[in-house]
Amino acid sequence: MTDSLNLDELKAAAQRYSGRHQRIGKLVWPNGARIAVNFTADFDAMLLRRLNNEPPMQLAKGEFGGRVGIWRLIELFDQHRIKATIFTVGRICELYPQALKAAVNSGHELADHMWEHRVPKEPELELDHLRKTAAALEKVSGRRPLGSRSHHTPTLLRSEGYIYNSHGSPSHLPHYVMDSKGAPCILELPFHYAIDDAMYFSFAWYASPNAAQRLSDTDRVFDLWWAAFIQQYQQGGYLNVCLHPFVSGRALRVAMLDRLIARMKTLPGVWFATCEEVARHCLEQHPPNRFSPPVSF
Amino acid sequence: MPWKDRYTISDEKSLADGDIRWPDGRRCAIHIVVDLSIASGPEGILTRDIESPAAEFGTHEGLDLVLATLEKNKLKATFAVPAVTAQMYPAKIKGLIERGHEVATHGLRHEDVSLLRREEEKARIDRATQMLTEVTGRKPVGWFSLPRQTDPFAGGTISSNTMDLLIEAGYVYMGNGLADDIPHYWVSDFASRRAILALPYYYHFDDQFFCMFPVAGTGLENSDMLLRNWRAELDAQYRRNRFFTMTLHPQHIGWCNRMAVLEEFLSYLTRLPDLWNPTGAQCAHYWLDTYPAATHLKLQASIWQDYPGSLS
Repeated sequence: MTDSLNLDELKAAAQRYSGRHQRIGKLVWPNGARIAVNFTADFDAMLLRRLNNEPPMQLAKGEFGGRVGIWRLIELFDQHRIKATIFTVGRICELYPQALKAAVNSGHELADHMWEHRVPKEPELELDHLRKTAAALEKVSGRRPLGSRSHHTPTLLRSEGYIYNSHGSPSHLPHYVMDSKGAPCILELPFHYAIDDAMYFSFAWYASPNAAQRLSDTDRVFDLWWAAFIQQYQQGGYLNVCLHPFVSGRALRVAMLDRLIARMKTLPGVWFATCEEVARHCLEQHPPNRFSPPVSF
Repeated sequence: MPWKDRYTISDEKSLADGDIRWPDGRRCAIHIVVDLSIASGPEGILTRDIESPAAEFGTHEGLDLVLATLEKNKLKATFAVPAVTAQMYPAKIKGLIERGHEVATHGLRHEDVSLLRREEEKARIDRATQMLTEVTGRKPVGWFSLPRQTDPFAGGTISSNTMDLLIEAGYVYMGNGLADDIPHYWVSDFASRRAILALPYYYHFDDQFFCMFPVAGTGLENSDMLLRNWRAELDAQYRRNRFFTMTLHPQHIGWCNRMAVLEEFLSYLTRLPDLWNPTGAQCAHYWLDTYPAATHLKLQASIWQDYPGSLS
């Protein structure tokens, strides 16, 4: 009976997986800030829809993000003097160069969101895609991207000069992801699907049918996200708000975000930063231990 | 914009809020669309759809309630009418025009045309246009391809030829575009700049997705969310001087608590000063005169490059 539970195997897996993450002991934000907030926008417009071979109206729905949504988000952040991070699908540079230039001129960060919203399985092609995106973003912004939101191989990201990824949620707080030898590899700025506009407002997430949609409205999401913010604020934490220009660029949602940011600003010690700024702070003030301490249970 | 065939349908950037002018200095355009299709599947309206309580309610009590509410609030709507529906209820459909509403074509039977050959789709568009004209006495100027509840996606089904065929058939506008929240040009051929005007549609303002019987998933009754979405969008678009649209189905919105939602929303809406409430045709003609494609559609050649291992 006990044998069939494969307890040893489960324990080993738990240890192995935990060993891949190194938490930062006592995270302290600069200038006495109580919380760091990253507003992030995943700018793929219609590219993921195209990649998935979705029909014309789905592509048009995504196109809203390029024609309208991205401009409104830039305007919103600028009005609040917030610098945001725009995770940009590489090929967007060939479709929306004006919007990306405007974002850079306003001081927002451009970061990698894959070349065409996928990570190829073939290692050479993965590297090729990663480099194509970096070159495309550098051409627009004048500097190489330092962050990614992707499944790209952590060691590859690191060897290509990336300092952070913003993709998973094994911890509330920024932490280090280790390589297979247990050495720190890349900083992770966690994002969670509960703080992702597409989960509430975008129909057909990975082709889910109409009857399965997670319907919501801006009042409800405002309340949920405020609750997330205040919970982290009270414990000196971190919040990464994931937006999609084709979703949050809709007028009703820009108005909701405007209210949310204004309310966040009523509290002292809220550090609105780009992901790069948060990553640099962590790396400088809370560098990783060279080797992960042994995991004990 | 850097045009890319099969990716983009219009130019790179929408018209800014400050560049939009409505007639007589009005502040926001309000386009109300009433969808009279009761199609339950991609084949479009079938006998089994007609022999359903929803169809009976939607065509009679539901429609009468929606019409009375529109009248009470002095609002005009565009009715998206499948050609077979027009032929089944000619007096009712003619009556819509007599009340000052517009009747636009909603397919032959609101069927999915996405896999049809071009000639077949063309024949259907021509037949639908002729059937509707027969009933109303005037050629329709607007075409809709609105989604059905059971569709895989909530944007409406079209083929790669639909927009081109609508231009050929003389349609002035297409009623459900998702790439903008103001009227915008849907380019069917980049080289010749052939384009049709699309009026905005968005599923978050469409009653049918908030009033679903839960065959599966989380449908249930979400008309309270619908109300909050309508209000939030109206407030935001009104402040921006842009455009608000909502899509109604009498068989859904006409029912009890949902009718109260519609009443509450319309009485809120009509209290806002300086709204412009055109039908689709009025809005399209105004837009084509004020923002013609010749001067306002800013297309630039593609800078897209094809690479091995990448999408083309």
